[in-house]
Amino acid sequence: MSRVALSLLSLLAALLFTEVASAHGERNQEPFLRMRSAHFFDVTWSKTKLAVNEEIVVEGKFRLFKDWPVNLPKPNVVFLGNGTPGPVFARVESWINGQPAIQSMALKRDRDYTFKTVLKARIPGRHHVHPMLNVDGAGPLLGPGDWVEVSGRAADFKLPVTTLDGTHIENLEHWATGRVKAWHAIWLVIALAWLGYWIRRPLLIPRYVALREGNEKALVSHTDLAVGAGLIVVVVALVVGGFVYTEAEYPRTIPLQGGRAVVEATPKSDAPVTVIVDRATYDVPGRSMKIAATITNGGQHSIQFGEFATSNLRFINRAVPAAVAHVDPRYPKELLPRNGLKVADTTPLAPGETRKVELEMTDAAWETERLTSLINDPDNRVGGLLFCYDDRDERLVANVSGSIVPVFMDVASAQMRMTH
Amino acid sequence: MSAQLQEGSVTTIYGKRWSVEMADLSRTLDRLAVAIIFIAITAAFHLHYVLTVGDWDFWVDWKDRQYWVTLAPIILIFFPAAVQNVLWSNFRLPIGGTLCVAALTIGVWISRTFGFELWSYFPLSLVWPATMIAGGLILDAVLLLTGNWFFTAVIGGMAFGLVFYPVNWPIMAPYRLPMEIMNSLVSVGDYIGYAYTRTATPEYLRFIERGTLRTFGGHSAVVSAFFSGFVCILTYMVWWWIGGALSRVVTIPNRLKFAMGMPEEKVVRAEQQA
Ligand SMILES: [Cu+2]
Repeated sequence: MSRVALSLLSLLAALLFTEVASAHGERNQEPFLRMRSAHFFDVTWSKTKLAVNEEIVVEGKFRLFKDWPVNLPKPNVVFLGNGTPGPVFARVESWINGQPAIQSMALKRDRDYTFKTVLKARIPGRHHVHPMLNVDGAGPLLGPGDWVEVSGRAADFKLPVTTLDGTHIENLEHWATGRVKAWHAIWLVIALAWLGYWIRRPLLIPRYVALREGNEKALVSHTDLAVGAGLIVVVVALVVGGFVYTEAEYPRTIPLQGGRAVVEATPKSDAPVTVIVDRATYDVPGRSMKIAATITNGGQHSIQFGEFATSNLRFINRAVPAAVAHVDPRYPKELLPRNGLKVADTTPLAPGETRKVELEMTDAAWETERLTSLINDPDNRVGGLLFCYDDRDERLVANVSGSIVPVFMDVASAQMRMTH
Repeated sequence: MSAQLQEGSVTTIYGKRWSVEMADLSRTLDRLAVAIIFIAITAAFHLHYVLTVGDWDFWVDWKDRQYWVTLAPIILIFFPAAVQNVLWSNFRLPIGGTLCVAALTIGVWISRTFGFELWSYFPLSLVWPATMIAGGLILDAVLLLTGNWFFTAVIGGMAFGLVFYPVNWPIMAPYRLPMEIMNSLVSVGDYIGYAYTRTATPEYLRFIERGTLRTFGGHSAVVSAFFSGFVCILTYMVWWWIGGALSRVVTIPNRLKFAMGMPEEKVVRAEQQA
């Protein structure tokens, strides 16, 4: 009983999960998941309008965060999915660091990977398309989403392939479905004939009464026994015949392929920037995140702090031209908080220099993206990537993570209270 | 109908005399009962199947040679065994197995067509159901010929497990053709499962044969089918018994009656009548 209840619950959970991933519900995921698991960056969508049968390429990079939450399983089994409302696109190709991502693979934390997914439009409509990583035990980790409009007719969609034995499959949607229906029909006809053979007779009460009175012979005749024996012969002949015929028809088949792929991470940058978070606060009424950090420039060139990225939000420091230049004008506006990143001291950080820096991000996006529920988590840590640009416009990506302290009163009202 | 001899307003059914009105009434009852039983079995068996075999039957890239071949028959035999007992022991009808699997087949096709194809956009080539009718027919024929639940369990149960893979092979073989995609070897079924995104069912969730069983020339379906057959024998016995237990009207001695001071003898007689 409890098993059934459990199964029903998990079915319900699966339905809800599908909902979260597909129906633009990415904000429903817990902040710790979005801030400290997979950080997607440089994501592009090759187009935002296309017709059925046309392809769109979604590509970019992701870093699996160093400060991975302890309650999440490590990314030992990862699959590159796509956060779309179910199969509205057919995934024709997907790659991680140039390796085919048709199978799941083990990835490393604190490392970067490039990804590329080719999707073929199938169902018309306006779909929100995200890159997505499925991590075994941790569920779907969504990248940024953009709206893609698909026009045309679903009935025109075709997915042709050619197999290794030279069979050309016109359209995988309908491949061999005629056989499926034919065999099901054959068996169903035999089943219904057998049921009809018995059901046409007086059925329940007369048979029950006759059996109680010991008149078994009237219920099952010699003809019935012969028909039963004939049925076995027909069934066995059909099963064996069908099998042998199919083996001759398709002599070269393979089992399902369930191996795991192996993929190397992108090499690490040799000019690291280290960020040690001294104190991070979130001002609840002011919707303002402040991170006081000690930053060391381990490279050969002076750097500026151009962007703070977390939970697919990009806080751009408009005082740094390289950071502004790095924003694709087609990038979804709702993922670029208007107020961006503010850094009080704008002088570049010299090579080898260590300085205390205050990063400030004040924006309603914290609220609208539902990241503020962070303060309800038992593991109250903030995480993100700091994009630094050196004097040659080279980009260095640093991990930022630390404990976060909420501030429940805004400064003005606190001062008011003190004067009273 | 050979069992029925017309004789004025009286008719003989299975060697017993019935008034024509009563015979007609009983026939109406039969028709109602068949409809209700069929719908009830379709609903119950389908729910059971979805919650247990579930993904293995939903997707073409889950139907593997090891887990699917082993598990599906073992779970499928529950309902046929139980219903066979009810229909054979009470009515000498050898149709319990076929009735269940035919009802399930219809239920599964309704759910695949409406739930998977039309509602969720999955193509039939990804979500076609397995056929299991051959197993049900064999169970019924063996029960009819042996008239014995034990032999039906041993012969029919084993056959039920063994027949599942070969009977589905004509449907499945085209989906096991090899193809090359992104410089990798996959089967057509793998690629269909890959192409049509299941957001909440990523590749690694597939509970399938990941390494080769090192017996029978590596063809694990043979090992799996025999193992499944053995377990089917046992599950058949258990569910035959459950079917019998469920079809009996059971009363429990009512302790409250004793407590209220009703004489024990009278209570026992009342319960025997029930
Ligand atoms: Cu979305």
